[in-house]
Amino acid sequence: MNDNSLTTPSTSEKPNLLRRLSWIWQPLIGRHELGVFILLLAVGALLSLGTDTFLTTNNLSNISRAFSWIAIAAFGQSMVMIIGGVDLSVGAVMALSGLVSALCLRAGISVTPAVAAGLLTGGLAGWVNGTLVGHVKLPPFIITLATTSIARGIMFGLTGGWPVRNLPQTFRALGQYDLLLGPVPVPMPVLFMLGLVVLVSLLMSQTVLGSYIYTLASSERALLVSGVQVARLKVLVYTLCGLLTATGGVLMTARLGVAAPTAATGYELDIIAASVIGGASLFGGVGSTLGVLLGAAIMQMLRNGLVLAGFPAYWQTAAIGTMILAFILLDYWRRQREG
Amino acid sequence: MSTKPLLRTVNLSKVFGTLPAVQRVNMEVYPSEVVGLAGQSGSGKSALCTLLAGLYAPTRGSVFFAGRRLKSPSQARALGIEVIHQEPDLAEQLDISSNIFLGREIGWPSAGRWLKVPHRRRMDKEATRILTQLDVHFNSLREKVANLSSEQRQMIAIARAMTGPSRLIIIDDPTLLLSFPYQQKLLSLIQTWQQQGTAVIFSSNNLDHLLAVTDRIIVLREGRQVANHRTDETSREEIVAALVGTNYREQLTPIIWALDSYYRARKQAEELCHQHALLERDLAAQDRVNQQLIDQLTKQVNALDSANVALQDAQRRLLTQQEEEHKHLAREIHDQVIQDLLSINYQLEEIKVDENVAATLKHELTDARDSIRELVDDLRHICGNLRPPTIDSLGLGAALQSYTHDWSRRTGVPVTLDLDAHLRRLPETIELSIFRIVQEGLSNVRKHAHASAAQVCLKHTSPRSLMISIADNGRGLTDGFDLSTLSAEGHYGLLGISERVALLGGRVRLHNQASGGMLILAEIPHPRVKQPNGDR
Repeated sequence: MNDNSLTTPSTSEKPNLLRRLSWIWQPLIGRHELGVFILLLAVGALLSLGTDTFLTTNNLSNISRAFSWIAIAAFGQSMVMIIGGVDLSVGAVMALSGLVSALCLRAGISVTPAVAAGLLTGGLAGWVNGTLVGHVKLPPFIITLATTSIARGIMFGLTGGWPVRNLPQTFRALGQYDLLLGPVPVPMPVLFMLGLVVLVSLLMSQTVLGSYIYTLASSERALLVSGVQVARLKVLVYTLCGLLTATGGVLMTARLGVAAPTAATGYELDIIAASVIGGASLFGGVGSTLGVLLGAAIMQMLRNGLVLAGFPAYWQTAAIGTMILAFILLDYWRRQREG
Repeated sequence: MSTKPLLRTVNLSKVFGTLPAVQRVNMEVYPSEVVGLAGQSGSGKSALCTLLAGLYAPTRGSVFFAGRRLKSPSQARALGIEVIHQEPDLAEQLDISSNIFLGREIGWPSAGRWLKVPHRRRMDKEATRILTQLDVHFNSLREKVANLSSEQRQMIAIARAMTGPSRLIIIDDPTLLLSFPYQQKLLSLIQTWQQQGTAVIFSSNNLDHLLAVTDRIIVLREGRQVANHRTDETSREEIVAALVGTNYREQLTPIIWALDSYYRARKQAEELCHQHALLERDLAAQDRVNQQLIDQLTKQVNALDSANVALQDAQRRLLTQQEEEHKHLAREIHDQVIQDLLSINYQLEEIKVDENVAATLKHELTDARDSIRELVDDLRHICGNLRPPTIDSLGLGAALQSYTHDWSRRTGVPVTLDLDAHLRRLPETIELSIFRIVQEGLSNVRKHAHASAAQVCLKHTSPRSLMISIADNGRGLTDGFDLSTLSAEGHYGLLGISERVALLGGRVRLHNQASGGMLILAEIPHPRVKQPNGDR
């Protein structure tokens, strides 16, 4: 009467090397990421055949430099989206952290503390967003819209509307220098991006924190019941997003050599679009850092390709917008099919 | 029991919108105490459990655990409070062992809370150990819990509560999703936890479960604590009265199957009374006609109640007297008739050895003596049936062993007898009733089942109840079987069993087994027996 079992006896599983390294190959062969990668190759091939100027070291180096800060900020954005939130303040925070670094430099502070101040500014902005979302439980859309406005206001207040110029060479090197890997010049921001993609991927796929981040959107109550400090987790994710965004912002400022209060306007949409194209769901729970990198790459490549191909400049925005819409629809259908 | 409460609530209240779910509850739970929460659905049991787990912030009042005020679920879990909810709250997209260790992952570095890298193999090993303890097995611990049945999910939620050292386990009636064996498993787990020094708050709609394992029962009605009784000092009737909140409190066991109409009338009266209470509250005006009707119905119900009580008493008296009569008769036969026969036999022996007796007569004398010996054997058998001689001296277990052995020998049907290793002496009436139930059950098997094997099993399901099962591999029950038609056809065996069980306050279930044959399951409550489980 008591010999009951729900299913047949268990067999223990041994994780082999392949399984242990799944964090490397799983995003590579994940259906979405693979699709984006193939699309990237296809667009690249098309542009290489259609134009003479696309497949040159110089052009590719420019493209990768141009999307690197977008990608870095999108790593943070995708984390926020995976927990089911959104951060609209990323554009403003990018500009603000770059500006804070620039102002520090102009005040005679050396590069390292100035960059640290910029990153701290981004972290603080993220912490404010996270605290209002996590502890006060306000909707992230409204909160981050408000912090966008505050950040822009602070920038105009600090600069009186004038851009900050004449940044020291040591700082601009961060964004402008190329590192020669053999014959290939790799821009510094791209190196930062590659370093961060490994770091964030490890964080998301290997640690308990990553597992909580993926779980939060669909099973917040399970985490609560299990004693996970959910509010603190949200604060941490928004803060990390702020830090990554600031990293992107500082690199962008270093590249441009100018910190303007109007910089990075509209970047939040590019960053969100890169995340969505890369597979982060607007409904949370899904997304990978590598995918986001590919998403940012494909956007920049299209933008660049359309210019090279002589597509009318005024229509380019519409083309990019159409692509974003297509990926959002794809995300929706995927969710529908998975129920 | 220590004098300092582990958990204490002070005027704990929770209001949802305008609806008060929990109102001014002041309760205390001591270490290694099992406290039951009883209440009808909507009485605030779940809300109270959720408040105690820190998942809701109280509207007023507070919860103190080990002297500290509870503020958040994470703090509650860190202090050693585990909760098993009515619906398992699992992370759907995570696999089984990740769910079991959610919030308590094993990994490296062990101190790095969120930056820890989980050690899958150790988690799986530990998860398998816990699941084996729960009698649950999965093909793969990598399975997503979203793909599992609700029972499996509930067992995972229970396993999650067993991953760490806990000081209080709050169980919010998860038995709705569990099948009978797992319900029993949970009850025995509660006792194990108690022995390990963990306090348990057990909310349940099943009074039998509450009476079986708790030390104290708190009754909630409309969010208020209306009763708080020690389980050893209360009765089912008292708890039911507190639950329902009516004046006529006797909840009677249905012994007379023909009293269906009585229950219907009673139910109507209860409904009317409830309606009346609503009217009274809402209109704040007494309706004279309604009042009269209620009075009449209440009188009627009271009359029926007393009739039923009288019937039960009569039945009980009848059975007791019958047993007395049997005992008397058995003694008469044993001490008088059998002794007489033996002495006649002895006289015949003496005649036989006389040398003057003719050889033919000697032969007839031998025949006569054999007949007498058989007669004595038969009479001894009858005596045994009338009053099992072993039951008074050696107890129920020995009596059942001797009876089933004898029954098997007579009928040629092998019987396996499975007795609880911790079976203790019970009050005489209960032991005798159980013996009679087994007797009736086996006689039913012999007469109707055409079985080739039978099984009798006697187990404690809790320190306060005993489960008797009689199974056979015969024909089983016919389609559309109904206990009430049996009496009309003059078959009293199964009815006898159901009546005896009902008089002891227990319940009986008859059904066909999947493998064929009938299964009689009777659960009988009895005074608490101290389990010698501590020596494990």
